[in-house]
Amino acid sequence: MAGKHGWKCLAVGLMSLIAVPLAQAAAPAEKVIRIGAMYPMTGRPGLYGMDSVAAAEMAIDEINAKGVAGGYKIDAIFTDSKAKPAYAVRVANRYIAEDKVHFLFGVVSSGVGLAVTEVSKQNKVIFVGTDHAATELTVDNFQPYYFRVSNDTFQSMAAGALYLKEMAKTKPWKKIAFIGPDYSYGHAQWDELRYNLDRFGVPFEVVGEYWPKLSDPDYSAYITSIMKDKPDVLVAGFWGGDTVAFIKQAKAYGMFDKLTYFHPDAGGNYELMSAMGDELPLGLILSARHHNNWPATERNKKFVEEFKKRTGRYPTYAAEGAYAGIYAIAQAVEKVGNPDDADALVKALEGMKLNLPEDPEGFVSIIDPGTHQIMQVQAIGTTIANADFPPAKMMLGNWSVYQPADIFVPAEYIAAKRKK
Amino acid sequence: MDFSFLLTQMVSGLTLATLLFLVASGLTLIFGVGNVFNFAHGSFYMLGAYLGYQVVTVWSLNFWFALLFAALGAGVFGALIECLVLRRIYGRANEGGFQILLTYCLILIIDDLVKLVWGAEYKSISRPAGFSGSLTVGDIAIPSYNLLIIAIGLVVVVASWWILNRTRPGKIARAAAVDREMLGALGINVPLTMTVVFGIATALGGLTGALAAPLRTVTPGAGIEVIIDSMIVVVMGGMGNFWGAWLGALLLGEVNAFAVAFVPEWATLFSFLVMVVVLIFKPEGLFAPRTTRKV
Repeated sequence: MAGKHGWKCLAVGLMSLIAVPLAQAAAPAEKVIRIGAMYPMTGRPGLYGMDSVAAAEMAIDEINAKGVAGGYKIDAIFTDSKAKPAYAVRVANRYIAEDKVHFLFGVVSSGVGLAVTEVSKQNKVIFVGTDHAATELTVDNFQPYYFRVSNDTFQSMAAGALYLKEMAKTKPWKKIAFIGPDYSYGHAQWDELRYNLDRFGVPFEVVGEYWPKLSDPDYSAYITSIMKDKPDVLVAGFWGGDTVAFIKQAKAYGMFDKLTYFHPDAGGNYELMSAMGDELPLGLILSARHHNNWPATERNKKFVEEFKKRTGRYPTYAAEGAYAGIYAIAQAVEKVGNPDDADALVKALEGMKLNLPEDPEGFVSIIDPGTHQIMQVQAIGTTIANADFPPAKMMLGNWSVYQPADIFVPAEYIAAKRKK
Repeated sequence: MDFSFLLTQMVSGLTLATLLFLVASGLTLIFGVGNVFNFAHGSFYMLGAYLGYQVVTVWSLNFWFALLFAALGAGVFGALIECLVLRRIYGRANEGGFQILLTYCLILIIDDLVKLVWGAEYKSISRPAGFSGSLTVGDIAIPSYNLLIIAIGLVVVVASWWILNRTRPGKIARAAAVDREMLGALGINVPLTMTVVFGIATALGGLTGALAAPLRTVTPGAGIEVIIDSMIVVVMGGMGNFWGAWLGALLLGEVNAFAVAFVPEWATLFSFLVMVVVLIFKPEGLFAPRTTRKV
């Protein structure tokens, strides 16, 4: 039985329950930019979802501390997308109908992104994509209310093709093989790499193509078969933890002594370094949409350290995308003066210059007005010993840096795709 | 096509088959004896992988102890789940539906549980000392750890056969598969038998998780990745049939290995094609379960 003290507590509790909403109702309506975010929170992509949410909250806190012009504050709602397109569409519709959000935000999987962009188009609500790379979203399926603030697979593969072209001078290669997940993300990377190799006049001979299913836990049969093909370069298009499993298994077969491992879109994500510690082989050629140790600018260092302080871990690349997305929204609302005029916000976002952690000294990211795709400098590195970001014992180094104009989707490519 | 390549490809298939069988054996054991389709069996595999990570990486202890700890941990957890949760739905009308729902919920709960304890970051453990090298065949090396997995799989097959066929507890388990009521009438504690069988099956899952951890990614959701292929193996082998699961796993592993080598663009399809062919020609599975045999 509750004692006298217990009843008192209960009474105070009940009163506060009634009083708080009353107080809220009485306060003048706050000027709020409402963002409806969707990220996967479970299973393998859960890590990206959690990192995105943490980084978005970090950006919101930073911006709200200063305030957006016009007295606006940012308020974001986060919902588990379950990495399922149909479910995310329901969430997006609910965000628009019930929560009256000004922006849809997030999404780790391109499949989910392609579904949510349709909702955005129909409802004329801006969708800021933070971490999904299918080039289709800004090329074939382009719609005016979609913007992407992290790079697409085309930019990674164009930078990759330039890297391979350069590499041929010091380490001659000709035969390449590909392994990547058997869905649009894997196929897009392979198609775009070959397109760019041709575009840059790099001769190559394909000796094998392998398409394991996404999240396949076992690659032994693929590894022995690839080694039989004897490629000079193995191009990998794995995503998420698949890279960890593949590298662990391939290392046991001595694969990395016999060929060059090349993984320019998602291979250099910090999760690989943190999972593998000193087991990660040296000299793998990798890149990702953001690096914790490149560029070595104060802005990037501050972003990485702040994230570590908030979460206790170093960020995967998903974090920087979400962080960039919040800043893009804040900047657009600053310019327009309110978050309600979607068409004016579209205009504000087109051509927007953003100073982001990913930008090296002297560069700013720009949102291309024709595709709504962010243009950023891309860096590809190789694995070297570096224990500054524990539990990782290796990080990327020996950077090769590519300018946005050199790796951006060419106009004729866009025209050909949009014609279809 | 040289012989050493065929041999290495076969060993690749065997490694996959062994891990598949070890997961499927627990799944089929629970189904055969308890008539429970434990959709969450893969989660015990995942739990085993995390327990292995805890022992090897966090506590810096021996890998062999990690295998034991993972099996025991997953087994005890499994027995508790059976005792506290699953037992409550035995014998209900539409028990099958409840089983699927309940064990699916367990997947989500165990996934979140490991995320709470170990975080969402991917984990990895090193191969044990003495098994980090490889044997060379022709110009291709076969990792010694893969051979160890195959050997452990064989030991489990033989030991399980011996326990099920030559020991009293094994006979009780087999009897429970045929007629639980009769077994109870003979004075055997049937609920305890069920709990123990569930514990052993989940221990097999945990052992496999820790055994696979040096080769695979330890991550929330790892259970889902193995459960589909394991289900294929169990269905092909004949639901509840131990030997069927072994043969099913061998078939699937080898078909996959050679499909990857010769028709890589269709490799994923082949696993399912094998199941379809088996189920068309032997709908009851490669080995029909004992209970359906005519006397």
